[in-house]
Amino acid sequence: MLLHYLDLSWRSFKRTPLVSFLMVLAIAIGIGVTMTSLSVYHMMSADPIPHKSSQLYTVQLQTMDEGHTWWTGDDIPMQLTYQDAVNLHNASIPEKKVAMMRTGFSVYLDSDKVKPFTGEARMTTPDFFNMFDVSFIYGGVWSEQQEQSAAPVVVISKELNDKLFAGENSIGKLVYLDDDSYQIVGVIADWPLNLKYYDLNNGAFNKVEDLFLPFSLIKANQLTSWGNSNGWKHEDIRTFADRLQSEQVWIQFWAQLDTPEQKTAYGDYLISYIEEQKKRGRFSREKPEYSLRDVNQWMQYNNVVSEDNKILVGLSFMFLAVCLANILGLLLAKFLRRAPEVGVRRALGASKRQVFLQHLVEVAMLGFIGGLLGIVLAQIGLLGVRQSYEYYKNIATMDLAMLLSAPVIAITTCIIAGLYPAWLVCRTNPAIYLKSQ
Amino acid sequence: MLEIKPIFHALCRSKAGAILLLVQIAITTAIVSNAAFIIQDKIAFLNQDTGYPEQDLFKFNVMIFGKDVDTSQQFELDEAMLRALPGVENAAQSSSIPLSGGGSASSFNLKPAPQESLSVRTAYFFIDEHGLDTYGVKLIAGRNFNEDEVLVTNSSTDRSINVTVVTEALANELFPEGNGLGKTVYFGDIPLKIVGITAPMKGPWLKDSHPNNVALIPYIQGNTYAQFAVRTKPGQRAAVMKQIETVMLNNYSKRVINSIKGWDELKAQYMAKDKLMMRMLIVLITILVLVTALGIFGLTLFNINKRTKQIGTRRALGARKSAIINYFLVENAMICGVGLILGCIAALLLGQLLMQHFSIAALPPSYIAGTAIMVFIMSLVAVFGPARRAANISPSIATRTI
Repeated sequence: MLLHYLDLSWRSFKRTPLVSFLMVLAIAIGIGVTMTSLSVYHMMSADPIPHKSSQLYTVQLQTMDEGHTWWTGDDIPMQLTYQDAVNLHNASIPEKKVAMMRTGFSVYLDSDKVKPFTGEARMTTPDFFNMFDVSFIYGGVWSEQQEQSAAPVVVISKELNDKLFAGENSIGKLVYLDDDSYQIVGVIADWPLNLKYYDLNNGAFNKVEDLFLPFSLIKANQLTSWGNSNGWKHEDIRTFADRLQSEQVWIQFWAQLDTPEQKTAYGDYLISYIEEQKKRGRFSREKPEYSLRDVNQWMQYNNVVSEDNKILVGLSFMFLAVCLANILGLLLAKFLRRAPEVGVRRALGASKRQVFLQHLVEVAMLGFIGGLLGIVLAQIGLLGVRQSYEYYKNIATMDLAMLLSAPVIAITTCIIAGLYPAWLVCRTNPAIYLKSQ
Repeated sequence: MLEIKPIFHALCRSKAGAILLLVQIAITTAIVSNAAFIIQDKIAFLNQDTGYPEQDLFKFNVMIFGKDVDTSQQFELDEAMLRALPGVENAAQSSSIPLSGGGSASSFNLKPAPQESLSVRTAYFFIDEHGLDTYGVKLIAGRNFNEDEVLVTNSSTDRSINVTVVTEALANELFPEGNGLGKTVYFGDIPLKIVGITAPMKGPWLKDSHPNNVALIPYIQGNTYAQFAVRTKPGQRAAVMKQIETVMLNNYSKRVINSIKGWDELKAQYMAKDKLMMRMLIVLITILVLVTALGIFGLTLFNINKRTKQIGTRRALGARKSAIINYFLVENAMICGVGLILGCIAALLLGQLLMQHFSIAALPPSYIAGTAIMVFIMSLVAVFGPARRAANISPSIATRTI
């Protein structure tokens, strides 16, 4: 029966090509506009590490004195002070945690083959790779002992390995960063991240770093941060040691908490940590405050999806509503003109239900064609977005979910538009039309 | 004369089409007026005057990795070399670059920290006496720093700076009475005397809460990493930019020169997202208006087809062509009018909603009024073609097939 309805729909489509084409065009434009903004929104808000996003938590501590405010929603600084990061990293729980900072170096080799260039780097404790699911093509992460002793070792990206060593196994080779040599201990595999979720406060759409080095080198080599560092009170910071001891926040900290029990336990630990620091004269607030946010909460907290994107999605759906009204008008015109024919079908024994279904199949077909055409339009729209804003290069694309939802939204819209006209036409009283034939 | 009553009755007999049109017009009005307001806001942001001759300015970064050099002295040599380059007006090492989206801000206070006093957010640039001229910004009162007021040091503990040049906006916020020149402000606990006040210029972040509060501080700290600003003679920027890496490396080779960018490019990068939003909104409302116009056009055409016989009969009974055109124009105006009233209400509600959830100002009524007028005109244009076609229906139609 469905096939028969589809056949009828196709005939009907061909009989009134102009109106049918206008309807398909209306739905295609609606879908094109909606899918363009929705795809960008979807890619931005998509969970970057779905199987683990609820186990990875950023750690925030309320380090400011009473009365000081921050620009975050809950007034808690986004990053930690160096001393807190080190203390929390030395704690026995949780098992996996990472303290890190963004920086950069001049990169060059012993030979003249490669012109010195600037490389972005991440100073991090070793759990980083395991926690964020980074895999290695050669070698692996530096050892706990190397971390402790601030060993001059480095893990590099595949891209950098290709550039410096033509993709060969470079483990054990030396690379110069600023004026010191570092031994390569690992090369990570390609790590395509649409969203640099572990470093949101320095730019969600930045590239993943090319160099990863032990966190302990910050102190040993007096490395400065290339990321945000913020203070909330006046401190006389003159030397690097002053800075390490200061209340400025510039270290990012993540903890992996696999179960709710671990999360509760870690929360308790953080409270006791704050209380303990209070005894030493820090943290003057009455109530100890901390915050643990998982990956998705962290993305929301950092407003990864900008206001503009949300407004655009809202407006596009309103736009789709206009297209829906348009289609509804055209469908009314088209179906009602066919009333005599329906009258004959009804007289020959078709039930109201059958007539109703037949017309719904017809609009669903229109929706399907419109949806397909809409995908084409959305691709053009996304191409425009990519051309216009290079940071959206990876974001302004349609993934499978979006490709599939385009026809679904189109068909749903068309069926909503078709309900009333189909209902009207199935109520046709056969007698009237039979008489006037 | 306008036959409102019979038109109204006729409309009541085919409500569905009219209601659909009305809904379309209402939503269109709501979207277009709000989108137009946002677009206007973006255009104002994109076209703002930064205070700099961006076309003649560029920046680059230097990272020194050689250890055999006194960095602050090397940068002095570099500056001298750059200023002597043909085509260059002036050049200066600058702790960060205006418009680039990266820089430093602190609070300027009326009393030394940690005492409590008026505290004003300020973006600051550490730069020497060539800074102001390099930026291409004019003084409007007072003087620039002298060479002997600039502290050039490799030590992070030396703090012997005592003057600053600030924008008028900053001076006025610190000293609302408007006599900031010659007063002392505190950068942390360091007292700085305001010796000069400049014409408006923007800080590193155009979206900052205080984008106009900028201070220049005469301080050059030797560091392995530095940024330079260079202003060239008009039209010669590209040529100078092309050779910058070579001349810098010739001066001293153990370093990396990169991120050589024009200030207009920096600004464009900073604004790219807003430009994108503006473009998308323009595309959205253009298509939206077209779709709505097509909807009106299609529905009128359909109505005319349905009423061919009636129209023929009216013509046969003596109605003029103009009466037929009038009929459809008035009918459209009635639907459109109701749609616009609903649309204005919807626009206000949508504006309220956007204001509640996002940092968008209240929608000015003029945008709604302007949009309503535009939509009305568009609907008249859309309906006029089909109405003329209706007027051309021959009266003889009425005599056939009845």
